[in-house]
Amino acid sequence: MRVLIVGNGIAGGEVAFGLRRAGSGAEITILSAETTPEYDPCSLPYYLGGEVPRERVFRRRWEDYRAAGIRLETGEKAVAIDPASRCVRTASGREHPYDRLVLAHGGSLFVPPIAGIDKRGVHGCKQLPDADLLDRHGGSRAVVIGSGAIGIEAAEALKKRGYAVTVIEVMDWILPALFDPETAGRLKRRLERCGIAALTGEKVLRIEGTEAVAAVVTDRRTIPCDTVVLATGVVPGVELARTAGIDVGRGIRVNERLETSLPGIYACGDCVETVDACTGEDAMFQLKHNALEQARVVTRNLLGASASYPGAWAFARAHFFDTHAVTFGKTTRATQCELGDLEIVEREAGDDYLRVIVKEGVIVGGQAIGRFADAAGLLIGAMWRRESVPALRARRALLGDGPHGTLPWTTRRLGELLELAG
Amino acid sequence: MAERREIRVIAERCTGCRRCEIACSMGHCGMPTPERSRIRVLRLPPEGGHVPVLCQACEDAPCLKVCPMNARVRAETGAVITEAEACIGCRACLYICPYGAPAVAPEDGKTVTCDRCADLPGAPWCVAACRDCGALEAVCPGEAPRRACRDAAAALRPVLRPAGSRRCGS
Repeated sequence: MRVLIVGNGIAGGEVAFGLRRAGSGAEITILSAETTPEYDPCSLPYYLGGEVPRERVFRRRWEDYRAAGIRLETGEKAVAIDPASRCVRTASGREHPYDRLVLAHGGSLFVPPIAGIDKRGVHGCKQLPDADLLDRHGGSRAVVIGSGAIGIEAAEALKKRGYAVTVIEVMDWILPALFDPETAGRLKRRLERCGIAALTGEKVLRIEGTEAVAAVVTDRRTIPCDTVVLATGVVPGVELARTAGIDVGRGIRVNERLETSLPGIYACGDCVETVDACTGEDAMFQLKHNALEQARVVTRNLLGASASYPGAWAFARAHFFDTHAVTFGKTTRATQCELGDLEIVEREAGDDYLRVIVKEGVIVGGQAIGRFADAAGLLIGAMWRRESVPALRARRALLGDGPHGTLPWTTRRLGELLELAG
Repeated sequence: MAERREIRVIAERCTGCRRCEIACSMGHCGMPTPERSRIRVLRLPPEGGHVPVLCQACEDAPCLKVCPMNARVRAETGAVITEAEACIGCRACLYICPYGAPAVAPEDGKTVTCDRCADLPGAPWCVAACRDCGALEAVCPGEAPRRACRDAAAALRPVLRPAGSRRCGS
């Protein structure tokens, strides 16, 4: 059997090496548009910030592919799939036949339509070549457009390199998709304490400069700078699938087995549209742990088992300097267009903050900063198990904290955390 | 290769003396500093008793998947440990852990978890230190849940079949 994998990211690599680990004798080929062995995009900001050497970002070495008998075709960007002849064509004109095809080519940086975005000094921070360019770029004043997880991490990395950094966010608070304004406001103040300026509710109009970047103009001010980092989000790569006649929505549509609408073609990773494992709603959490789990399901299906994917988990952390925060499940904003009673449990102690979103008696999401974040796992567990908060309250009222054996310690810790007694 | 073992926690027996924390930090850092311990005794709310918390080395460990630096790895012994050279101290492993088990090292902010005393003689040290209370037990892999089930069933026996009651079917 010939297995062809498009994309050498987290998902693609996991499928290829997972097949080998399971003892598959299939002929495995990976088509990579890039020129390196598999690396971890999550680790790029730490390489950029000088916290780890460049070699640490790699998840595999060249010899790993050789040892596993996996053919890695670098610089081969897939441009078309011909499902009839079971063949993928690349930009170089070569054709790669397959028996099973795995689409794991991820997404690409969303480049906003801003005038001057093609000037020298405007970089992404999504792929290794972006980070390499930024590493060589000797600037001193940077503007980061977008304040998602990548934007904040890039801002921290540049700050550590000695840049003066300004983050611009068009929404009213930083990390808008991950945190509620109450949590994000606290994070913003901490970001500013670290010397990073964060401008929210502000729109970038154009990037000025003759050839190289000289300033970023927003609807409120002009910020002189020599470096611009785009952290404006990731768009799932659907064109390759769409042109082949595969069903696509926001991402590539797949069934429970992660097979696309064309038999024999699977998809996993950032390019896939999937469901939230907790709510069953359509979701696209482009996060590493989901890519890995999807890749493992695809691997098992390629091996002939019938594995189904339960859905993606929303879990992310935000970390800069000595600030540690975590978010899971839905934000308040994401629950606002739904029916149901909403209860927000908030706790604050010094700089630490906890916010738990309870809908219809079940935890649906939450955010925490500092010490409260250390216990996030208990809250996440309760969310995944759909534990009833009123039932927890009733049990605590009836049994108190009692000695061992009355309630599991995790439940009691949870009750303590939510201060639900009585 | 070190023998594979697991550490079973019998929380009911924990008195909160924290000798395990001292033994762990002595074994791993050569200093009796509980804040460097990889096992942590959690005090539950008022008179709720104590629970020794340590990495369970989950079979499908979520920390392995969320670490941005791929610093969480499964060792030969079956333990899941943090590679200190790769860890950047983001605490993702701590946040995703259902027990909140990873400890944050005070000197560099990196996480550390129980390595089952990989190659220390007389190990695991926490188990040795807990001899008097017996809240920690070194068992073979897979044995912990079996023993937990057996003990739970034994605890239920007097409730389900009080002394002097007739046996089912007799």
